[in-house]
Amino acid sequence: MTDALVLRDLTKRFKTPAVDGLNLTVRPGELYALLGPNGAGKTTTLRMVAGLLKPDAGEIRVFGVDALADPIAAKQIIAWAPDEPMLYERLTPLEYLEFVAGLWGIEPRAAHARAESLLRWLGLWEARGQRCEGFSRGMKQKAALAGALIHEPRLLILDEPLTGLDAAVARQVKDLLQARVRAGATVILTTHILEVAERMADRIGIIQHGRLLAEGTLDELRARAGEGQTTLEDVFLELTGAESGAPA
Amino acid sequence: MIGRPGSTPWLLAWEMRLAWRGLIARRGRKGVAAWAPFVIVAALMLALGVPVGHFLLAADAPGGQPLVVVVAAASGMIFLLMLSQTLASAAETLYDRGDLDLLFASPIAPRKVVAVKFLAVALNLYLTFATFLGGVLVSAALVAGPRWLGGLGLMAALALAATASGLALALGLIRLIGPRRTRTAAQVASALIGAAIFLAVQGPMLLGGSRLNPWRELWAAAERGEVSLPPLAALPLRAALGDPAALAILGGGAAVLYAAVTFWLGERFVAAAAAAKGADVTRRIAAPRPARFSAGAFSALVRKELRLLLRDTALLSQVFLRVLYLVPLALVLARAAARGEAVALPGAAAGVVFLAGQVAGSLSWITLSGEEAPDLLASAPARATMIMRGKLVAALIPLAAILIIPLAAVVWLSPRVGLITAVGAAAAAVTSGLINIWHQKPGRRGEFRARRGSTWYAMWAEASVCGLIAAATAFAALGSVWALAPALVAAGLMGLLRRNEAQIAEALRAA
Repeated sequence: MTDALVLRDLTKRFKTPAVDGLNLTVRPGELYALLGPNGAGKTTTLRMVAGLLKPDAGEIRVFGVDALADPIAAKQIIAWAPDEPMLYERLTPLEYLEFVAGLWGIEPRAAHARAESLLRWLGLWEARGQRCEGFSRGMKQKAALAGALIHEPRLLILDEPLTGLDAAVARQVKDLLQARVRAGATVILTTHILEVAERMADRIGIIQHGRLLAEGTLDELRARAGEGQTTLEDVFLELTGAESGAPA
Repeated sequence: MIGRPGSTPWLLAWEMRLAWRGLIARRGRKGVAAWAPFVIVAALMLALGVPVGHFLLAADAPGGQPLVVVVAAASGMIFLLMLSQTLASAAETLYDRGDLDLLFASPIAPRKVVAVKFLAVALNLYLTFATFLGGVLVSAALVAGPRWLGGLGLMAALALAATASGLALALGLIRLIGPRRTRTAAQVASALIGAAIFLAVQGPMLLGGSRLNPWRELWAAAERGEVSLPPLAALPLRAALGDPAALAILGGGAAVLYAAVTFWLGERFVAAAAAAKGADVTRRIAAPRPARFSAGAFSALVRKELRLLLRDTALLSQVFLRVLYLVPLALVLARAAARGEAVALPGAAAGVVFLAGQVAGSLSWITLSGEEAPDLLASAPARATMIMRGKLVAALIPLAAILIIPLAAVVWLSPRVGLITAVGAAAAAVTSGLINIWHQKPGRRGEFRARRGSTWYAMWAEASVCGLIAAATAFAALGSVWALAPALVAAGLMGLLRRNEAQIAEALRAA
């Protein structure tokens, strides 16, 4: 079966290397958590996959499609949801979905049905006539997520999807992601909430200085980190060499 | 910084520093380039003051009726302009700075915070006007006598009174229509006051058929004793001449008004500022309309852009204000054309073409550079050229609606010139749009007035190309082959400005 995402020697430099020869493979139908300290290169990597940044070198394949040679075909099957919702304040959620569905060329009748289903599922149906400018952060995040899902992407990429959400909305988002994975989609997410990765991810990749430091299931990572590392937080701190504990 | 941390001077210095940085940021320049425009304007104003000084010197008696009338009218006009500026500042203080939460959470009395904010509005207002009018007053005083420096005191009194009135008006609007709508209403009202003054000053020349400067006309009417003055109308002139009693009355009155507004309305301002960030943000809930999903990306994009344009009242008012400023020119040319003057109709055609280019430039800047979710478009499976084309089309649709009336008027006067005008307007609109595509730089829609994202040469190029096409239109309307000259220069300029898709993408990445 074709892998959902294959990165080969992916490199991007700004003033210093942000992504430095990264090799990564994500299998179809899995929920992959990409972890790393601040500035490790997670967002830069995902922005390159989403077609928002051009790599300096390397290869990106999405379900076998060369994303650098044929970006339009790759984008057709990808959804990108950053931590700051990509919304228009003066549009209603329904109008926003009309626009996004149009961008992805979804047939109007199918788009209508999906929009209604997504808005109902996310609890935004009653607010479909209100402009997004009055929404709370959670509502905005949900509206943006509906936009990311309207074209039923095969690869859903989320950068810190739970930032700033309350417990109820966070639970709703997590449920939705797991439902997409059950439906056969592939999800890649970055998060600083390690419990989320620990509970939800099929596999976890840890990157630092733009390189893949370790990858595998939680058990595999535990084994690699050594004895006494029981939680993902322990494993993460051990592998990245970060100090833990409160200041004296 | 000035003063003890937390003291009124310290807070005021902080406010002024932020205001200055905001001004520089809006202009997008630093260092000498930031100061240079102010120095140039001040120098021009100093030069302008010399003939004004000679005029004042030649005026019969400084306390004479004509001077009383003109100074009172000028003071009224300056007060209204200051009021317009305050209304815009009040909205910014309420919404845009975003530091009120921090200040109100600090151990400084909210009343002091508000008083300082109000004072900063007054001081900014005074400094803005002093940059323009101070130079005139200083050099006029050098020619006509130092007593005219009293004008600076008069201006301070006007600034204080306008601040108090503007803030009271803004707070009244908040009570009536809520904080959110007040922001738009204040910006629109501010723009309309400016436009109304402009039209009022130009009015007599446009509608009455007068060829005299309106100030001279007012002077002449006062000399003939045709102007009836309200009580205390002489106070502004006496204050401008440095009369301590007049300055004390006007300055004291303004200070009392300012203190009353700060004292009585300060707390309401605090409440309004809190409300502006909270409950009132949600809009009236309209009945959801049926969804209209489009079959293609192009139509979805055009629809989205039109919705966003039409829903931003404040932004549209700023765009259309530019149209309003061209009304006097249109009226002059229309009257001349109606009298059968040979160059009037080609002049009107050129005006319409220039207007089309300028409005198209503004609207396409909003749709192209003011995109709110650029990453969404960049991550969509749509070609960049299609997206830019869609945005350009969306910008040109409202323009077409604006142009219908002036074009119809030209067609009615001469179908041939009407056709030439339509072609010229289309060319100016498309070229302005293309310049905005080639030289787009992301910016917030709220920064439209400063067009922060645009490079200065793109703005100048846009104006130059529109001017050249307008000139070509005028020559073509006159039936002259000279139309080719400006048209070719415009085409050459467009060739120099052109960027391909890769160059645009590279410039956007670097922005």
